[in-house]
Amino acid sequence: MNKKKLTILLSLVMIFSLISMGCDNNDKTKDNNNAAISFIDDEGIKVDLDKPCERIISFYSAHTENLYTLGAGDKLIGNYKTGIYPAEAAALDMYDYQSDPEKVIAANPDCVIIRPFITRKAPEFVEALKNAGITVVSLYPETRDDFDEYIRRLAMVVGAEEEAENQLELLNSRMNEISELTSNIPDNERNSIFFESTEVNLRTVTPDSMAGLAIEIAGGINIAKDAEAIEPGSSIAVFGEEAIMAEADNIDVYVTQRGAMNCGGSLQSISERSGFETVKAIKDGRVYTINEKIISSPTFRQYKGAKELARYLYPDLMDSYSEYENDEIATREDMANIAVKMLHLPLWVPSSSKYYEEDYKGHTFGLFDDVDWRDDNFDYIETITMSGAMEAYFEDDKEYFKPDKEVTREELALLLITLGDFKSQTYSYSISDLKDCENPKMIQMVVDNKAMALNGSKFEPKELVTNQEIIDAIKIILD
Amino acid sequence: MKNSKLLKLIILALTMSMAAFVFTGCSGDDADTPKVGDPEQKAILVVSFGTSYNETRANTIEAIENKINEEFGDEYDVRRAFTSQIIIDKLAERDGLEIDNVEQAMERLVADGIGTLIVQPTHIMHGEEYDELMAVVEKYEGNFETLAVGEPLLTSHEDYAAATKIIKEDTAEYNVDGTAIVLMGHGTPHYANATYACFDSHLKHEVGRNYFVGTVEGYPMIDEVIADLELTNAKKVVLFPFMIVAGDHANNDMAGEEEDSWATQLKKAGYEVEAVLKGLGEYEGIQDMYVEHVQAAIDGPTEE
Repeated sequence: MNKKKLTILLSLVMIFSLISMGCDNNDKTKDNNNAAISFIDDEGIKVDLDKPCERIISFYSAHTENLYTLGAGDKLIGNYKTGIYPAEAAALDMYDYQSDPEKVIAANPDCVIIRPFITRKAPEFVEALKNAGITVVSLYPETRDDFDEYIRRLAMVVGAEEEAENQLELLNSRMNEISELTSNIPDNERNSIFFESTEVNLRTVTPDSMAGLAIEIAGGINIAKDAEAIEPGSSIAVFGEEAIMAEADNIDVYVTQRGAMNCGGSLQSISERSGFETVKAIKDGRVYTINEKIISSPTFRQYKGAKELARYLYPDLMDSYSEYENDEIATREDMANIAVKMLHLPLWVPSSSKYYEEDYKGHTFGLFDDVDWRDDNFDYIETITMSGAMEAYFEDDKEYFKPDKEVTREELALLLITLGDFKSQTYSYSISDLKDCENPKMIQMVVDNKAMALNGSKFEPKELVTNQEIIDAIKIILD
Repeated sequence: MKNSKLLKLIILALTMSMAAFVFTGCSGDDADTPKVGDPEQKAILVVSFGTSYNETRANTIEAIENKINEEFGDEYDVRRAFTSQIIIDKLAERDGLEIDNVEQAMERLVADGIGTLIVQPTHIMHGEEYDELMAVVEKYEGNFETLAVGEPLLTSHEDYAAATKIIKEDTAEYNVDGTAIVLMGHGTPHYANATYACFDSHLKHEVGRNYFVGTVEGYPMIDEVIADLELTNAKKVVLFPFMIVAGDHANNDMAGEEEDSWATQLKKAGYEVEAVLKGLGEYEGIQDMYVEHVQAAIDGPTEE
C-alpha cells in the first residue's frame, strides 16, 4: 500500500516537473525573428530583446564597470558586491547568487547579466531567474581577443553600440600610446619582469592572458614567457619557486597581483620567503603590487594596468614631468600630477570589495564631486589624496578636490612633509608669520629641513607657487 | 497480503532499532562520563592568533613556543593551535602546513589520552579572543584530570610592571629628550580595552611621560595620542607595535604610506617619524613572561 502511494506521488512529481520544464523550454526557444536586438551569449543562448534593457542587475564587477563606461550606469538597479568601480556602483543595491533568487526577482529587473562561472556555481539560482521570466545574459571574454566582442554584446543590452565603438577605439589608442613609448627602448636597456599571480605554488600568467599582454605592451621581458597554462584555456600558468630561483639574477622587477581570490603574496610575505633575498628585484627594492582589477579584469581600465607595469619597469620614461617645468602658477591638479610622477607613487586602487562599507575620516576614494572618474587626471588626484599629501575640501556634505584652484605655499609644505622623511633639527629658524600658518609645527619642520625657503623672515603661507617651485622642492625631498 | 505484512514487520523493526540507536546516542556513556586521559600524559597547548608571514612567525609565535618547550618540553608535549581559520587555511594551501584550530587541537589531545593539560594563550589581554578560547576549552573540561589555562600577557599588576620594565629596556636607545615613544595596540570593543590605559599609565609612571599607548580600533586612537603629544616637547616620534606579531597592522596602519596611517598623520602633525617593526613576541623578556604564566598555571592557584 505504502509503496503504491509513493509510486503515485513520484509519478505526479515527475509529470508536474516535465510539464513545467516543457513550459520553460518553449520560452527559451521562442522564435522572435522580429527582435530588435539579437545575439548569442557566452553560454550559447540566443538573446532576443525588443528594446534595450532599463532595469539591469549585474552579477560581475567587470560588467558593472563596463556599463558605466558605456554611459549606461543609470540602467543598473543592482550590483554584485565586488563591483565598486566607479564609486557610484558601490552605492547600488547589492545582490549575490548565494542567496535566495526571490530577492532578485522582487527587484523586478528586466535583465540580469551574469557570467558562465555563475551558471556553473549556482545553476538553480540562474534557472529560477529564467523561470521568473527575467532575461538572463551570460557574458565573459575568455581571452583578450574576445574583449571587443564581449563589449559589443554588452552594449547591445543597453543600446550603447555607438559608445562601445568609441570606447574601444579610445582604449586602443591608449594602449598604443604606451607601446609607442616603450617600443623605442633599445634591447639592452629592457627590464625583465616576473608576474606573480598566485602565492600558492608561485604561479604566473600565460603570455596571451590580459596581464601577459600588458607586460608586452609595457615593454617588459617576461621571465615566464614560456610558462604553460595550468589547464587548457586558463590564464594562470605554472612557474614555481625553483624556476624563480633559477632566474634570480635576471628578475629586474617583481610584480605581485593582489585581489580577492588566489592572489599573489603581499610585499611583506615576499620579503620573508626564504631564498628570495637573492632575487635581484628584491635586493634592488623593485617589488610592486598591482590590483587585479586593473590588470586581469576585462574592463576599459586594462590600459591603466599596462601603464602601471610600464611605470614599474621604466619609471623615468613613463613619469616624465617635463611639461611642468615652467613658471606658471601651479593648480592643485598640476601638483597632483607632478608629485605622483616625480615620486613614482603606485596608483591607488581600492583593494577590497568591503572598502565602501566603512566610513573614513578623510577622503574616500572616488567621491570627489568635481573629479570625474573618466578624467585623465583622476588617478593622479586620487593617488595623491589617498597618500594624505593633499587634502579634500568638505563642503555641504560633499567632497571636492578643486583641481583648478591654485596651490599655496602651505599646501606645498603639507605635500613635502607627508611624502618626505624630515628629521627634527637641533636648531630652528625664526619665522615671523608662523601664527598665520594653519599648521605652524609642520611649517617649522619644513623650513628647518630647508625644503622651502623663507622670504626674509616670513613663510607667507598663502602665497602661490609655480610648477617649477614644486619640482624643485620635491627634488630636495628626493635627495 | 503476506508480503505486505512482512514489509510492515520489517519497517517496524527498523524503526524500533533506529529509535533505540538515537536514544543510546543521546544519553549514552560518552556524554555522561567522558573519556578522561591519563594524568601522566601531559601537554601544553600554546594558542595564538597566527600569522601567515613565515619569518615573522618564526621570530614571534614560534620563539614563544620554543621557550616554553625548552622549559617544559621534558615533561610536557608542547603543541600549537591558531585561532584564525583564515590563516590556518592559507598556510595549509600555500605551504602545506597543518595547524590545528583550538577545537581540533582539543580533540587531538583527548584522542591521544592526555590527562594533564595547560592551555597558554599568547594573547595580550583578557579580551574577546580569550573569551572565545575559554568557551571552547570549557567544553573539554571533563576530558582531563587536570586542565589549567595560563593568563594572557597583561593580567596582574606584576605583569604590567614586568612588561613595563621590558619595554623600558628594549626602547632605551630611542628614549632621549625630545623623542616620544608611541606603542600601537589593536584595540577592542571588549571592556578589556582598558588594559591599554592601564599599561599607558604604568609606562608614564615607571618609564617616562613621553611614552604613549594608542589603539587602531579601540580607544585612545591616534588623534588622542597626537593631542597628548602636543603637551610634550617631542619633535620625534618612534612607533612600535604593541602586538605580539608585527603583521599587516604594523606594516599598514602604523608604518604605511597611506593617508590614515599613524606615520602619515604624525608627519602631518609636524613630527619626525620612525617606525620599528618589531612585534612584542620578538622581545625575549615577553617570551619569558609567557613561560612564567605557564609555570603559574602548572602550580595552580596559591593560597592566601
